[in-house]
Amino acid sequence: MRILFILFCISISASAFAADASLKTPNISANTLFLYQNSNFHKENMDPANPDQNRNGFNVREAELQIYSDVDPYSRLSMLLSIHPELEGVGTKINEKWVLEPEELFVESISLPDVSLKLGKFKAFMGKHNMLHTHAYPFIQAPLASQALLGDEGLNDVGLSAAVLIPSSWFNELTLQALRGAGENTEFSSPSPSNGVGLAHWKNLLDLSDALTMEFGFSYAAGGNSLKGTTDLNGADLTFKWRPIVGGLYHSLIWSTEYLARNQTQAGVTNDEKASGVMSFIQFQFAERWAALYRYDNLKLENSFDAVNLPNGPSERNSIALAYMPSEFSSYKLEYNERHGGVPSASGADTEKTIFLQANFTIGSHPAHSY
Amino acid sequence: MKKTILILLLSLFGLQAFAKIHVATTTTDLAAVVKEVGQDKVDIFAIAKGTQDPHQIEAKPSYMMRLRSTDLVIAQGLELESAWIDPLIQGARNPKLTTKGGLFELASELEPIEIPKGNISRAEGDVHPGGNPHFQLDPIRLGKAALLIADKLSEFDPAQKEFFHKNAEKFQKHMEEKTKEWQARIKKTGVTEFVTYHKTFAYFCARFEMDCQLQLEPKPGIPPTASHLMTVIDQMKKRKIRIVLIENLYEDSVGNKIKADIPNAHIERVPVSVGGEPEITTNEQLIERIVKAIEKGAK
Repeated sequence: MRILFILFCISISASAFAADASLKTPNISANTLFLYQNSNFHKENMDPANPDQNRNGFNVREAELQIYSDVDPYSRLSMLLSIHPELEGVGTKINEKWVLEPEELFVESISLPDVSLKLGKFKAFMGKHNMLHTHAYPFIQAPLASQALLGDEGLNDVGLSAAVLIPSSWFNELTLQALRGAGENTEFSSPSPSNGVGLAHWKNLLDLSDALTMEFGFSYAAGGNSLKGTTDLNGADLTFKWRPIVGGLYHSLIWSTEYLARNQTQAGVTNDEKASGVMSFIQFQFAERWAALYRYDNLKLENSFDAVNLPNGPSERNSIALAYMPSEFSSYKLEYNERHGGVPSASGADTEKTIFLQANFTIGSHPAHSY
Repeated sequence: MKKTILILLLSLFGLQAFAKIHVATTTTDLAAVVKEVGQDKVDIFAIAKGTQDPHQIEAKPSYMMRLRSTDLVIAQGLELESAWIDPLIQGARNPKLTTKGGLFELASELEPIEIPKGNISRAEGDVHPGGNPHFQLDPIRLGKAALLIADKLSEFDPAQKEFFHKNAEKFQKHMEEKTKEWQARIKKTGVTEFVTYHKTFAYFCARFEMDCQLQLEPKPGIPPTASHLMTVIDQMKKRKIRIVLIENLYEDSVGNKIKADIPNAHIERVPVSVGGEPEITTNEQLIERIVKAIEKGAK
């Protein structure tokens, strides 16, 4: 199966490069993330029974191959494949294997008035951060709440989506999604396939001036879960973006805040598991190629159903980063994180300190990221 | 009853006849040409402001809302707007724009120059495989663009075909006359060469028989480096180039460094799009502003 997948990709790539671009070959792009990290939590944790996937040192974090093109006057097909290493324990050894998997694979309408329909496997519209691909994360790691409540890979599932523009003087969009209810993260207590997941996101964006925008949104998702109970997700986000009309190449500012909460029930258990977290970051571009970033995020859990991986109590993290972008197709990020609380290290330490250096490269025809 | 229906139908047709064509342009330069051609028969909205780099506009959802009720998008093309125009059109969910003819790109119809030969890659910077898209500083191409726009607007409102073409021809003729005047004035200055930040002036220089092959950017889209700046200064001295025109999208700290090395250099930040300075509202005023900068630099 995997070999077929690789052959399929190679055949598409080969045909794209062999033919002239004007012959309607798909747009193809590749992105790679190289990551160095050093964390006081990950040095000693090399248990073959439970390999540490975020090991210290230099690693290829991920490569993404993206292919998209209009199918006909009515629809567009997009496919995003993720290639990344995974560690697996074999006896007393830990081996590295490479995994190729579809991160997104969907078809969307391009000619319907006021509505955009999407069918396939895609990132669910559960807040702003969940919609980002790894290389577009403002920080190396996803917010604590996103990681813990939506899983490492985020809420990503097979389903149907309808995004409707509501007539108004500002950008006002309501997205409704019906998902299969079998997310790709094993640690995420995703709703069971039999019940599915219903999701709604309301997005608003106002131009406060030519230079300043304000976006706010609300998300809600609910469905049965694999614990024979129900899962409810609530989210809210608020983002200000400023880029001056004069000198906009050199300065810009983003301030984004996102709240996420999850309530889960489990058959035979009286108390609901309650979890919530907030993330707020500022990104200031102070020169044409440079930006400084700061983030605060936290997570609070009560009555955890998985106290080992999601311990009760609060945890919080501060992150600072410096980004350098030699061109729009490459960037480097140096980041320092300090997290208190949450899962302790193997030696019982409570504070994780991590330094990251990530290099990000893109080739080919990569579509623009959402604003 | 029949009479009432007839009156209603006539009213609707009447409204249709007076309905404006809603046009969005990617740049203020194109908006100014559309205004010349369409006058009160079009409603115009320019996405990029005159002080913004049209390569790097953010695809704001508020633009999608504006495009939602737009009949036609006119772009310079040759991949100038490729990073943001497609997501805007897709996000607008307006079938009039997604069908063929909803996006009208002009540069490829105007004899593009600087078409790269051989294998090209991003190692050469932000290259445009179809040629240089910055035709807005060539008055003759602007005149031809006006005729193409008149043809396009006529498809949307055939009843105004004659009106659109008359306006376009008038604009074209005026730009041809101004071109002769500008050519004479530039010739009189004796200036044959100047330095720019980006390849924005290629069409201007070709039209007015000047050389502006020396850029402060080492490669298109790549900010100036110290070593490249030394090369530019060295070339300016060797070729006795005194004028440096920096597009006012970019900062002028580089110009100060040149001034420190060549004290008699004339370094000026100039607008390269309509609206690049508040008082510049037409294509003619924009080119006049640049011609005056050259005249000033020659003194």
